[in-house]
Amino acid sequence: MVLAGSVDLARGQTAFSLAFHICFAVFGVGLPWLLLYTEHRWLRTGDAVWYALTRTWSRAFAVLFAVGAVSGTVLSFEFGLLWPAFMARYGGALGLSFTLEGFAFFTEAVFIGLYLYGWNRLSPRAHWWTMVPIAVAGTLSTLFIITANAWMNVPRGVREVDGRVVSAEPLAPFTTPSAPPQVIHMLLAALMCTGGAVAGVYAVGMLRGRRDTYHRRGLRVGLITVLVCAPLQLVVGDWAARVVETQQPAKLAAMEALYRSGAHAPLTLGGVYDGVTGKVRYGIEIPDALSIMTGWSREHVVAGLDALPPAGRPNALVVHLAFDTMVGLGTAIIALSVAVAVAAVALGRRRHARRPVLPLGRGWLLAAAATGPASVIAMLAGWEVTEGGRQPWIVYGRMRVSDAVTASPGVGWAFAGTLVLYLGLSTALVLILRRMATGGPAGGIPPEVAAGPATERVADLVTDLVTDPVTDPVETARGRPPVRRNGVAR
Amino acid sequence: MTAADLLLMVMVGGLTAYALLGGADFGGGVWDLLARGPHAGDQRALISGALGPVWEANHVWLIFVIVAMFSGFPAAFGVIGSTLELPMALALVGIVLRGVAYVYRAYGAGAAGPDHWWGHVFAVASTVTPFMLGVCGAAMASGNARTDDATAPLTSAFGLVAGGFAVTVTAFLAAVYLCRDASRRAGTEHLVDGLRRRALGSAVVAGTLACVLLPLLWRDAPVVAQRFATRGVPFVMASACGGVGALVLVWRRHFTAARLAAGLAVAGVLWGWAAAQYPDLVVGQVSAVAAAAPTENVRAVLIAIGAGVAMLIPALVLLFKVFADPEPAAGDLHR
Ligand code: HDD
Ligand code: HEM
Ligand code: HEM
Repeated sequence: MVLAGSVDLARGQTAFSLAFHICFAVFGVGLPWLLLYTEHRWLRTGDAVWYALTRTWSRAFAVLFAVGAVSGTVLSFEFGLLWPAFMARYGGALGLSFTLEGFAFFTEAVFIGLYLYGWNRLSPRAHWWTMVPIAVAGTLSTLFIITANAWMNVPRGVREVDGRVVSAEPLAPFTTPSAPPQVIHMLLAALMCTGGAVAGVYAVGMLRGRRDTYHRRGLRVGLITVLVCAPLQLVVGDWAARVVETQQPAKLAAMEALYRSGAHAPLTLGGVYDGVTGKVRYGIEIPDALSIMTGWSREHVVAGLDALPPAGRPNALVVHLAFDTMVGLGTAIIALSVAVAVAAVALGRRRHARRPVLPLGRGWLLAAAATGPASVIAMLAGWEVTEGGRQPWIVYGRMRVSDAVTASPGVGWAFAGTLVLYLGLSTALVLILRRMATGGPAGGIPPEVAAGPATERVADLVTDLVTDPVTDPVETARGRPPVRRNGVAR
Repeated sequence: MTAADLLLMVMVGGLTAYALLGGADFGGGVWDLLARGPHAGDQRALISGALGPVWEANHVWLIFVIVAMFSGFPAAFGVIGSTLELPMALALVGIVLRGVAYVYRAYGAGAAGPDHWWGHVFAVASTVTPFMLGVCGAAMASGNARTDDATAPLTSAFGLVAGGFAVTVTAFLAAVYLCRDASRRAGTEHLVDGLRRRALGSAVVAGTLACVLLPLLWRDAPVVAQRFATRGVPFVMASACGGVGALVLVWRRHFTAARLAAGLAVAGVLWGWAAAQYPDLVVGQVSAVAAAAPTENVRAVLIAIGAGVAMLIPALVLLFKVFADPEPAAGDLHR
C-alpha cells in the first residue's frame, strides 16, 4: 500500500511540475516569434507604438523565461529523483534528445542575455538579430523534448535483455511515428497559448476603456496568431489521433471511452465513463461515427478497452473528458476564427478600408479575452490525454509506472513542498505580470528613434501613449528606457 | 580511452564552467547576503548588474552536466537520485528561488512585495545552493549515500565542511570578479576596496577550510583520499599556484589577471577531486563502467555535444564580450 501511495504522489508531483513548467515554456516558444514581428515593425516604421509593445513584451518574456528555466531545471532533476528506474534504464535511449535540448537552452539563455540587456549596446538591427536564435532554439527545444515524449509513447529501436538496454538506436526518438504529429501539434499549441494570452491582456485593457493604438495593435498581433493556428491545430490533431489509433490502440479507446471492440464503433461526445460497466452516461452517442472517422467505413474495426485486462487499462473517465475538453475548446476557437474572419471582411468593406478590420465590440473583445485561457486549458487537457492515456505504462509496453517509481518515503513531503513553492511563486508572478499589463507601454522613447527620420510622428504618439501612472514622465522625457533601472538598481 | 571516459571528461569540463561562471553568480548572492555598511546598496546594485545578462547562460552548465549524466550514465543517475535526494532537492529549491527572486526583484517593480524581500530570498538561496552541491560532492566521494536514510549526507562533518568550502569558494570567485567590474567604472570605484578585502578574506577562509577538509577526506573517504594523494597532486599544485597568484594579484590590483588565477585555483581543486573520484561515480555504489549507457548512445551524445559546443562557443564569446565593459554613456544617466 505504501508503494501505491508513492506512485500516486510521484505521478501527482510529475504532472503538477510538468504542467507548471509547460505553462511558461509555451511563452518561451511563442513570444520570441511575436517579438521578432513587433520589433521588425518598429525597425521598419520607427513607430513608437511598436517599440513600446516590444519593450513591454520583452520584460514579460524575461520573467516568464526565468520561471520556465528554473522549473525546467527542477524537471530534469525530478526525473532522477522520482523515476530512478526509468532514467536508469532509458536515460541512454533518450540521451540524444535531452542533450540536444540542453544546447537549445544554452542558445536561448545566451541570446536572451544579449537581447534583454543589449538595448543600449547593440545597434537596433543587431539587437533584432539576437532574437532570431532565441526563436529558433525555442522551437527546436520543443522538437527535442517532444521527441522524448513521443518515444515514451511509441518506444521503437531498443533491444533489451533481462531488463537492461543492450542497444538503442540513438535516433529512435526522432524516428518514432508519433514524433511528427506530436511536435507540430505542440508547436501550434505554444503559438496558440501565447497569442491567446497576449490577445487576452489587450482585450481586457480595451474592455476597461483603454482603446488606444497600443492596445489595438497588441490585440491584433495576439488574436491573429491564435485564430490562424486554431484550424491548423485541428488538422494536426486529427493526424495525431490517426497515429494514436495505429500505435496506441488503448489510448484511442480511452480517448473515445470505447469499451467494446468491433465494427460500427460509435463516437461519444462528453459523458461520464463507468469503468465497471464500460458504459458512458450522459454522453451524446453518434452511431458508427468512430469507425467512419478512423477507417472511412462503418465496418472498420476499432479496438476498445475490453481488449485489455482491467489492470492494463488507462483511466478512460479522465482521459475521455480531457480529450473532449481539448477538442471542444479547439473547435470553439475555430468557430471564433471563422466568425472574426467574416466580420472583419464585412467591416473592412463597410468602412472602405484597404484591409479587413478587426471587430472590436464588447462581445468580440470578451471572446478574444477567452482565447488565452481556452488555449492553455486545451493544452493541459491534451497532455492529460497523452500521459493519462498511456497508463499504466511509463514507456508504452516496456515499463510500468509502478516499476519506475522511487521507493523513497519522502515523496509526500517533496510534493507538498513543490506545491507550496510553486503556488507562492505563481501568485507573485501574476501580480508582477498584472502590473506590466496595466502599466501600459513601458518603453518610453527609444533613444535610437529620437535621431531617426520619424521623429515628429514618434513625439506625437508618445504623448498619446504616456497616459499611464506607472511610467515616470521624467524618465521618459530623458529617453532612458526603464528596463535599465530594473536591471541594475534596487 | 573509451567513449564513456571521454564523456566523463566532457562532464568535468562542464562542471568546471559551472563552478567558475555559475559559481561566481552564487557567490555574488553570498556577498549580497553579507553586504553591510554605507555602501551595501551600491554593492548589491553592482552584483545585480553583473549577473543580469549572464546568469541564465551560466546556469545552463548545470543542466548540461545533469543531462550528460543521465544520458551517458543512466544507472548512476538512478543511484544518485535515490540516495542524494535530500541535498539535491534543497539545492533545487535554492536554484528555483535564486533565479525567480532575481527576476522578480529586477522586473517586479515592487508589484509582488517589496524588492528587498526578494533581495533577501535571492541572497539566502544563492548561499544554500552551492552548500548543498558541495554536500552532494562529498557524499559521492565518501559513498555516504543511502536509500534508507536521506539525511545521511547532511549529518556528516565531511559533508558539512565540504558544503561550507563550496560556499566560500564561490564567494571568493565572486569577490575577485567583482573587483574588476567595480574598477572599470567611475561610479563604482569606491566599492573596490571593500571587495578587495572580501576577496582576500574569503581566500584565507577557503584555505583554512581546505586544511580542515583534508583530514576529514582521509577519514570518511579513504578510497578517494588515496587516489587524491597520487593522481591529485599536479592538480593541487596548480590550484595552490592559482590561489597564491590570485592573492598577490588582487593585492597588487591586477584584477583581470587575478580572475584567471582565481579560476585556476578553483578548477584545480575540482579536477583533483574528479581525478581521484575516477572510475567511481558514487564510491562503493556505482562506477562509470557499470553505469554507462550502450556505447553507440554515448557516441551519439558525444557527437551532439561536439556539434553543440562548436555552435555555443562563439555565442558565449559574443555574450561575454558585449557585456565585458560597463554600459555606454546613454544608459548611465541615472547615476
Ligand atoms: C492549444 C492547445 C490544443 C488544441 C486546441 C488541441 N490540442 Fe490536441 N493536444 C495538445 C494541445 C491542443 C497538446 C498539449 O499539445 C498535446 C499533448 C501532447 C502533444 O503532443 O500535444 C495534444 C495531444 C493530442 C492528442 C494525443 C497525441 C498523442 O498522445 O500522441 C490527440 C489525438 C489530439 N491532441 C487531438 C486534437 C484534436 C483532434 C484537436 C481538435 C481541435 C486538438 N487536439 C486541439
Ligand atoms: C519529454 C516529455 C515528458 C516526459 C518524459 C514525461 C514523463 C512523465 C512521467 C514519468 C509521468 C508519471 C508517470 C505517468 O503517470 O505516466 C508523467 C505523467 C504525467 N505527465 Fe508527462 N512527461 C512529459 C511531458 C509532459 C508534459 C509537457 C506535460 C504537460 C503538462 C505532461 C503531463 C503529464 C500529466 C498530466 C501526467 C499525469 C498522468 C496521469 O497520471 O494520469 N507530461 N509524465
Ligand atoms: C518533460 C520534460 C521537460 C524537461 C525535463 C524540461 C527541462 C527544461 C529545463 C532544464 C529548462 C531550463 C533551461 C534554461 O535554463 O534555459 C527548460 C526550459 C524550457 N523548456 Fe522545458 N522541459 C520539459 C518539457 C518541456 C516541453 C514539453 C517544452 C515544450 C514546449 C519545453 C520547452 C522549454 C522551453 C522553451 C524552455 C526555455 C525556458 C522558457 O522559455 O521558459 N519544455 N526545460
